Amino acid sequence: MPPTALLERDEQLRSLRSRLTQAASGSGAMVLVGGEAGIGKSALVRRFCEDAARTARVLIGGCDAMQTPRPLGPLLDMAPGLGPPLTTLLGDESARQRAFEHLLDAFRARATVAVFEDVHWADDATLDLLRFLGRRLDATRGLVVATYRREELGPRHHPLKAVLGDLASVTSVTRMSVPPLSRDAVAHLAAGIDADPDELHRLTAGNPFFVTEVVAAGGDRLPTSVSDAVGARVGRLPDAARDALQAASVIGLTVEPSLLTALGHSVDAIEACLIGGLFVEHEGRLAFRHQLARDAIHDTLSAPRRRALHAAALATLERAPGAGTDRATLAHHAAEAGDADGVLRHAPTAARKAAALGAHREAHAQFARALPYLDRLPDDEHTELLAAYAYECEVVDRHPEARDAWRSAIERWRAAGERERWADAHTDLARVLFHLGDNASAESASARAIEVLEGLQAGAPLVRAYQYRAALRMLERDPEAAITWGTRTIELATAAGDHRTLAGAHVTVASSLMLAGRPSYAPHFERAIALAEAHGLHVLHANAHLNRGSGAGELHRFDEAEHHLRQAVAIAEQHDLDSQTSYALAWLALTRLYRGDWDEAAALTGRSLVRSSTSTITRIMALAALGRLRVRRGDPEAWPPLDEALELALRTGALQRLAPVRAARAEAAWFDGDLDRVRSEAAACFELAAQARHPWFVGELAYWRSLAGDLDALPAFAAEPFALQVQGRHSDAAAAWATLGCPFEAARALGESLDERHVRDAFDAFTRLGARVAADRARAHLRERGAKRIPRGPRERTKRHPAGLTPREAQVLARLVDGLSNADIAARHRVSPRTVEHQVSAVLSKLGVDSRTAAIAEAHRRGLIDPT
Amino acid sequence: MPRYVIERRFEDGLAIPATPEGATACLNVVDRIAEHGVHWVTSYVSDDKRSTYCVYDGPNAEALRAAGRDTDLPIERITKVSVLDPHFHH
Repeated sequence: MPPTALLERDEQLRSLRSRLTQAASGSGAMVLVGGEAGIGKSALVRRFCEDAARTARVLIGGCDAMQTPRPLGPLLDMAPGLGPPLTTLLGDESARQRAFEHLLDAFRARATVAVFEDVHWADDATLDLLRFLGRRLDATRGLVVATYRREELGPRHHPLKAVLGDLASVTSVTRMSVPPLSRDAVAHLAAGIDADPDELHRLTAGNPFFVTEVVAAGGDRLPTSVSDAVGARVGRLPDAARDALQAASVIGLTVEPSLLTALGHSVDAIEACLIGGLFVEHEGRLAFRHQLARDAIHDTLSAPRRRALHAAALATLERAPGAGTDRATLAHHAAEAGDADGVLRHAPTAARKAAALGAHREAHAQFARALPYLDRLPDDEHTELLAAYAYECEVVDRHPEARDAWRSAIERWRAAGERERWADAHTDLARVLFHLGDNASAESASARAIEVLEGLQAGAPLVRAYQYRAALRMLERDPEAAITWGTRTIELATAAGDHRTLAGAHVTVASSLMLAGRPSYAPHFERAIALAEAHGLHVLHANAHLNRGSGAGELHRFDEAEHHLRQAVAIAEQHDLDSQTSYALAWLALTRLYRGDWDEAAALTGRSLVRSSTSTITRIMALAALGRLRVRRGDPEAWPPLDEALELALRTGALQRLAPVRAARAEAAWFDGDLDRVRSEAAACFELAAQARHPWFVGELAYWRSLAGDLDALPAFAAEPFALQVQGRHSDAAAAWATLGCPFEAARALGESLDERHVRDAFDAFTRLGARVAADRARAHLRERGAKRIPRGPRERTKRHPAGLTPREAQVLARLVDGLSNADIAARHRVSPRTVEHQVSAVLSKLGVDSRTAAIAEAHRRGLIDPT
Repeated sequence: MPRYVIERRFEDGLAIPATPEGATACLNVVDRIAEHGVHWVTSYVSDDKRSTYCVYDGPNAEALRAAGRDTDLPIERITKVSVLDPHFHH
């Protein structure tokens, strides 16, 4: 960087320095520096690092603006500063976790500043690393500084946003923003040129890079954009220098000088770029002064020129001695050059390598690159690549593409007379069709696979086909058939030593036993997880947790559900298994919704619904969560997600989709005061649920039917809390809901009571949850009954308690601290043990803890214990 | 992008001084909510300074609530709206 003064950044520098002082003394931290391009994030961080280098080790790594960036690019940049163990660990994926740990050890050993530049371009593994570090830095001597362009995040989904969200609640992670320069600072920078400072400030919006480019461009006329300004500077260079800049711009932000000379650019030309200030030297490499300068030059290239430059770069890099350049970079140049053979030479290799590293998004992108050129390959190679591409599509949640690719592969195997491959691929197709909500076609594809493979007396593919039939039976909520097929598959797969199919069969049998209400399910999940871990079967590993989590959620066992869903998300995110991540997030959203954490539920539905290609089954569950959330909050647009969910659920025809959607719609209609609609929605899939004897689906639908005056008889197997509500045992129902950890449902049950005190408690609970409409109704209810002192908001005394406890709840907490049991408290307060149970649950949920012991500790910590 | 009105309630009254600090406070809000894709159009404040009616453009109610949380602004009610202009004639 030219030694320009760093203006108006004292506050940020002070803050970074004080963070470093704290880090050096053992309280590490992460600072996320956000601001627009050219605002001076790098200049700020570099200046900070210059000072920091006197007292701490400084590591710098940058992310590349490539479609398929190098996995862990920034860490590779930093590795030389950390010694040999890290460099070797970065070689393979199984060691990735150890590489992360190693970095943390390095932070513990010595005060260290690690700078991650431009993380808005970070690859997924680097984002994982940031997430990992953010949560663990506080007990180290590391200060991680990550810069990002705020405007790149935008309103759309950006993977960095998820990381920022995940780290939002970590106290050692802070954000820093780099603001535009003031008019005075702009005037100071432009002192040398004849320009009106006000005009310049307006034009550049206080962007320092833009200002310095305008100043450097000189001239009579103010350039109107950054590229204009850069263009003016480039225009003053000799042609040879301009050629070198153009060649460098297709390579990236930095380039090896030897590559430019190998491309035929003279030392004189490179020198001219350095003198002209377009290049700076940085650790033996040539770097554009700023990414904006690189972009400005790159954007002026015509399409044919760009292709030619990429072709030249590819040819030179391929000729380079040793296997220096990675496949991803070569594939990038080949694709940009429009070089079909080059793409086929490098992209599939890069894809397979990425897949083996668990970087499935990169793998998918590389296969997609090769796709238009597959015709040039021999038939069998073509079909194999198509199938490999189809598999990656499925993993990264692009099911429509996966379906089309499997169909093409199937057609090609048919034409080639490859009967076994042809039939086997039907099992894969069935799985994708199920995700797309096309259950009928999934059934017939699965049946066809079995029919043909049985005829061929095939081995492994036939067992795989049996396994998927078992899975389909489970997914259609026919657990007994699933257990029969699954058990048979377990025998066959065990005999054949087919770990993958065996693990899948255990998951199916486990889920089926769970849904059938049999307690013996857990060992099957554990067996599947052990197999998956032993054989590196990431998809199955995530699936075991996912099935257990969503199954427990369907049975309203939310502790178990949440534990396994979070495990599923962790595994799926680590391995880019987007399809599983999205489905787990949708179920986690439902879980958090029931638990009363509506902010997190909202964030999770958002994360689950980001891709338009997200599989149908994921969309249904996420839309159902979103619709219910809006209904309960009284927020606008509750029906559109519920309408879309219904449309998709009808397409599947499956109980596990239709029941939650119909129930959510009945609830929405109830809040609309439309009883006819409550009746029709709840009746619509009641029979289907009753046939499957599903206690929770039947329970909720029966509840809505009873509210709409449309329930003849309550089925005996209906889940208890709903049954109690239907029977008019409101406070018992509330206690049952509280035991399940469902505060909204508990309040709803209480609000139906005839006892004014119960309705007041319900009102308080609704207000706390942010359930506006339900709170309004409870208030109106109280008013109708002529209750005195109708509250406007949470009761004043409630508001005054630091943890929002009612006076009664505060008493209960005090009794808990005294070590009293529920029965003791009930006796002391002259109420029923059920009521105490409910009050204790309310106390736990308000304190954000899940046990009495934790509540006592929390009460001590927050000084909530009344000395009287 | 859809438009929404957010009703807010400030029991202690809303105080934004007409000073550089007040202006910075407003700009900080603009900056923070931008990360949620939310754009603050304008606000109306009741004379007693206890209620505000704020017009926002944003992707959905969840983004508005997340933005409200980030900026510590309370939300009473969110309503989706469209413009009805008295000067609109055929």
